[in-house]
Amino acid sequence: MDQPVRELSYAQAIQEAMAIAMEQDERVFLMGEDIGVYGGAFQVTGDLVERFGADRVIDTPISELGGAGVAVGAAVTGLRPIFEFQFSDFATLAMEQIVNQAAKMRYMLGGAVSVPVVMRFPAGSGTGAAAQHSQSLEAWLGHVPGLKVIQPATPHDAKGMLLAAVADPDPVMIFEHKLLYKMKGPVPEGYYTVPIGKAEIRRQGRDLTIVATSIMVHKALDAAETLEAEGIDVEVVDLRTIRPMDTQTVIDSVKKTSRLLCVYEGVKTLGVGAEVSAAIAESDAFDFLDAPIVRLGGAETPIPYNPELEKATVPQVPDIIKAARDLVSGRR
Amino acid sequence: MPTEVILPKVDMDMATGKISRWYVEEGAPVKKGDVLFEIETDKAAMEIDAPASGILRDVTGKEGIDIAVGEPVAWIYAEGEAQAAAVAPAPEEAKRKEAEPVQAEPVVQFQPAATAAKGEGARATPLARRLAAEAGLSLDAIVGSGPKGRVTRNDVEAILSAPAGRMEAKAPNAPRRSVGEPSASSQALPAGGAILYHAWLRQGSGRPIVLLHGFGADLNSWRPLLQAEPVDAPVLALDLPGHGGSGRTVPADLDAIAARVEATLAALDVGALLLVGHSFGGAVAATVASRSMADVRALALIAPAGLGPEINGAFLDGFVRARSEASLVPWLKLLVADEHLLSKPFVNATLAQSADSELRGVQAAIAERFFADGTQTFDIRKQLAGLRIPVRVIFGAGDRIIPSSQAFGLPGEIALHVFAATGHMPQLEQREAVLRILLEMARA
Amino acid sequence: MAQATAGKETGANLPFIYREYSPEQLRQALHKMYLIRRFEEGAEDSYTRGLIHGTMHLSIGQEASAMGICMPLTLDDQITSTHRGHGHCIAKGAEVAKMFAEFFGKTTGYCRGRGGSMHIADVTTGNLGANGIVGGGLPIAVGAALTAKRTKSERVVVSFFGDGANNEGAFHEALNMASIWKLPVIFVCENNGYGMSTSTARSTAVANIADRASAYAMPGVIVDGNNLSEVAEASHEAVKRARAGEGPTLIESKTYRHRGHSKSDRNRYRTKEEIEDWMTNRDPIMLYETQLQEFGVIDQAGIEGIREAVRQEIADAIEFAKTSPSPEIANLERYVYTEPL
Repeated sequence: MDQPVRELSYAQAIQEAMAIAMEQDERVFLMGEDIGVYGGAFQVTGDLVERFGADRVIDTPISELGGAGVAVGAAVTGLRPIFEFQFSDFATLAMEQIVNQAAKMRYMLGGAVSVPVVMRFPAGSGTGAAAQHSQSLEAWLGHVPGLKVIQPATPHDAKGMLLAAVADPDPVMIFEHKLLYKMKGPVPEGYYTVPIGKAEIRRQGRDLTIVATSIMVHKALDAAETLEAEGIDVEVVDLRTIRPMDTQTVIDSVKKTSRLLCVYEGVKTLGVGAEVSAAIAESDAFDFLDAPIVRLGGAETPIPYNPELEKATVPQVPDIIKAARDLVSGRR
Repeated sequence: MPTEVILPKVDMDMATGKISRWYVEEGAPVKKGDVLFEIETDKAAMEIDAPASGILRDVTGKEGIDIAVGEPVAWIYAEGEAQAAAVAPAPEEAKRKEAEPVQAEPVVQFQPAATAAKGEGARATPLARRLAAEAGLSLDAIVGSGPKGRVTRNDVEAILSAPAGRMEAKAPNAPRRSVGEPSASSQALPAGGAILYHAWLRQGSGRPIVLLHGFGADLNSWRPLLQAEPVDAPVLALDLPGHGGSGRTVPADLDAIAARVEATLAALDVGALLLVGHSFGGAVAATVASRSMADVRALALIAPAGLGPEINGAFLDGFVRARSEASLVPWLKLLVADEHLLSKPFVNATLAQSADSELRGVQAAIAERFFADGTQTFDIRKQLAGLRIPVRVIFGAGDRIIPSSQAFGLPGEIALHVFAATGHMPQLEQREAVLRILLEMARA
Repeated sequence: MAQATAGKETGANLPFIYREYSPEQLRQALHKMYLIRRFEEGAEDSYTRGLIHGTMHLSIGQEASAMGICMPLTLDDQITSTHRGHGHCIAKGAEVAKMFAEFFGKTTGYCRGRGGSMHIADVTTGNLGANGIVGGGLPIAVGAALTAKRTKSERVVVSFFGDGANNEGAFHEALNMASIWKLPVIFVCENNGYGMSTSTARSTAVANIADRASAYAMPGVIVDGNNLSEVAEASHEAVKRARAGEGPTLIESKTYRHRGHSKSDRNRYRTKEEIEDWMTNRDPIMLYETQLQEFGVIDQAGIEGIREAVRQEIADAIEFAKTSPSPEIANLERYVYTEPL
């Protein structure tokens, strides 16, 4: 890496990316609820309003649908908005503009326009915020052609993928797990991008491929460490983008390991893991499978408040270890 | 020129329609906007207005038949306009449109692709199927080691690598593995019941070492010990009944468990061996050795149960009930003298089992049977007294589960190792020393 | 835009457009209104003959509203339109040939066959899209106005919507934001009395949609949507206010659609008398024609000339559409993303 590398938190990395984007390009601006002097619900925008002014760090009313639509309208007429939702759950209020407008404008107009809008969604459980502030809805948006949907798992990727999203001519939806905001990791200074649509192998292994997204990448890596001590050699693929999905990296990995475990926080049924599993079942990696594909996803329930229940709702490290053991030992 | 009246499209997915009734008779005057006729669609009846004023003539659209959208159904003539000599042919059933010659698709007879597993019900992974097909093997000839007899890569490779003479040793028996070529990965045998889940943790030559874990653990708990230094002997570890991958049953007594161990050793052709047991596994090991069904040449007991009545009942209870890291770790700390030995992988590995409430439920029942009310309900001193093989007992002086003082008073020929500043897990806390002792016994 | 105006010498009592626009511009407006009417009649005819599929929402009867609002707009100004948007598209400057081609699903259509009736829009003349979602275009127009303000352009943005949209949340969120940020946007409610079958009396708590404006601290103006001059005057004022940085205006243009909501409408909710009254007594084209003749801007021969020119234009456009190539199925996924995945 040419640039000096420091340790930054995930939130700091995003903030730095937004600052760089605004410094480089006059068209870039931020919109969202309480992102100005308040600094954002998770302090991701922090004091950017002091550096760039209230004209470029715009506090919106509590109007998710309208705000998202304003961002779409600004994008289609030449600006580069980055729109922050306070919680990804509030995407439900703005689905019309995201799904019917942002995703389809280009197509409906036969390619006459592009919609270079970036939307950021703090997502996921683990904060005790219960059912309406803890969801992982990325698969909803991943189902919509016209959108790109990413889930960076590290501070490095959070910065690089945000900068890639701002440079992207099409709408990019970023799902940021709230528990990652404080996680620190190496982040190069200055401008760099991490490509959208490219998975990353976080750990090489022979016995089992774990495809994980967002915070589950870290849980999978923890599990892999334990499993290594037991003689189980795990490969961990960080999917990073769920649309367009880099199925080739997963296919290549499964052809090597013959076993696939998908780990994701969104509700298991009809989730990201279903798509990854189907991609393998439909590919030439099928002939390399030596065990059934296994998915570990969120329970079929809203996210509960009680901390023990909340933890039990989404895959944890011991769940991954157990599933991996069962898979490799032929118990599944 | 007369105004054409067509059958209009009135619904999104409408190709044909039926006129359910005409409101104006042939030859009658109509005014633009008057209701002329009614169309019946799947959804509703729609009234159609006259497109012009005049006299309705040449009504060709008959009631009740399917008419294609856009077909003329009548004409409206202006007052005094002469009727056309020839009108468009009456719309027949809408089939006319469809009567255009349709390119005949060649009829393709599909035949199912030949699969490697032609045997009905042959259960095999895609990879096993492919490997078998490439080797020209019928899946019928291979006994699967997976759930419900599923054939996996290992099963196919075992056949392929086996000496020719063993090829016919197929169903109903599993392909056998000689001790000299143990697999590094786990291998459940199909014959369910009697055989315990097991894994060859090390390959090698010489006398095999067979490991029996303690209560609530599984065969993976031995892996750290084997990392202490190179091991040249083959090492086999078993999961006791109600533990790990073995059946989730509650054995009746120590003899019942011993019988399962013996059956497994026999199925695996293990032959002469060094038997090692930890804690509850120690009691099992002593029982196996005393029954003389297996060819046990030496016995090592690490913090064995069965030497006295006392055991830490609170630990057993708390350990079995713990479901989260918060509730488990305090109990795990009781296992060792130095809690820094509780590595994250170790905690996670234990948690993974704790999360399995069915497993822990079975184990609670086992604890109830063998350690009722915090008391060891069995005694292995009698078994030990009758043994004529080398026996060593290893204890940690700081054991908070089973007091090391229970090792006193054993027959004089049994060697006793007591490690200072060590708890209930000498194989973890003093792994170099313990492993050296075991290897020495195996080589003797 | 107003040079030699039609009625300067006849005095200030003339309706607004005769003071503001040249006779040529006024005749051009009539031409466009006919173009809208005949385009939709042609589309309807093609539809009933089964030549085009889907459905369509016709604005026949609302031509003065579309035309009047667009008269003060420059090519650089932008609009967002609705599912009943053919009139807006033509009034803003689109070519009917490419619109028919879109109707026929052809590659030469404005949306290359991907949009159809509900999404026809000519981006090059400032139309940011017709919208199949009630209220969908309102926040987008506010966003476009934000761009105009941030880039310090002179541009204004008009958001057309129907009376049904005034009860959508997007309407209220959009008006509020436009007002707090003083954006150059004009909200134009074409109130044709019915959201599908439900009358505004049954659906809307206020008597006039324009009454909503006071809640967002902007002017609310009601005009007779079938009177071209009235509509144009209101639009003119709102554009002036927007360009001056004074913020948004809500215009309620009261009008009527002669046809049903869409092609599957059985007209159970309106009386024949009501429809008949609007068609015979309040037709916007007829009213405008009469007025033009009255003020001597055009004579009967001139009107016939316009009708004939439009007839020819429509016939040529339909022919162009019919003979244009259909999209290749292999290109189905083109235009989903800017850079193909």
